[in-house]
Amino acid sequence: MNDDKEKRLISLLAVRRHEAFWQRQEKEILAAAAGRPSHRKAWLLAPAAALAALLFFTAKPQTPAPAPENQLVSTAFLEHLDLLDDMDVLEAVPENEL
Amino acid sequence: MENEKKTKPEGLAGKDPESAFALLIEEHQRLVYAVALRLTSNTDAAEDITQETFIAAWKHLKDFRGESSLKTWLLRIAANKARSYWRWKKLRNWVGLGRGEGEEGAPALEDLLPDRAGDRPEQAALAADLERRVQAAIALLPPRQREVAVLRSQELSMAEIAAALGMAEGTVKAHWFEARKKLEASLGEYL
Repeated sequence: MNDDKEKRLISLLAVRRHEAFWQRQEKEILAAAAGRPSHRKAWLLAPAAALAALLFFTAKPQTPAPAPENQLVSTAFLEHLDLLDDMDVLEAVPENEL
Repeated sequence: MENEKKTKPEGLAGKDPESAFALLIEEHQRLVYAVALRLTSNTDAAEDITQETFIAAWKHLKDFRGESSLKTWLLRIAANKARSYWRWKKLRNWVGLGRGEGEEGAPALEDLLPDRAGDRPEQAALAADLERRVQAAIALLPPRQREVAVLRSQELSMAEIAAALGMAEGTVKAHWFEARKKLEASLGEYL
């Protein structure tokens, strides 16, 4: 693999848009920042939802141990969310910088 | 890289807030949008992430410690929001609310048109096809390799990528090595 090939690859991966696209986007950002009602998407709340799910599933149980099938569901849920896998990310990139 | 300038937070001082914010957007919107698009494969999500990234950055500019460049700080915010997007998407799929991918989030054809009106139809079709292939190749990468490849494709240095993603520089190099091999295999006909 050589440097020329890397440059061609990087150029290929670039995102190109019409100038009008960038102008429209800039206007939309400025309008949103100017206090017009934000159309905040549900997924922007994902960190809070993930943390809530983690706390819920790791909280000390107040009731007798759940049946094995319930434990399976909990484990599947955690695995599916990749919460454990994401812990390094949450630590490396503090959410309070957002 | 295209349109890259080097405004620092102090470079925004002295301007009225709206002008300073507009300057920040003008200088970095291409970069932030490109990263958001490549990380999510979804144009709607990329526009939302771009918007939220700038608004969050503007709100917290006074808290910016200057330990990294403004550019890497913005990209760190955008990468965080892209991760949030994937967590939300996984959660939706898990509870059975996920939609089929299809053309969801595909770029509008007019956004891919070149500036010169005379070139339009053929170039737009070619650009759209290339865009799909590039996006598909990136989407095949594992998440960490994808993040590194996307930032590298914006011509960030290994050190800048490490700062933006909170990784060791050696880890970034290893991810880029693997990602590059896979991308060259997927997109070899264009290289």
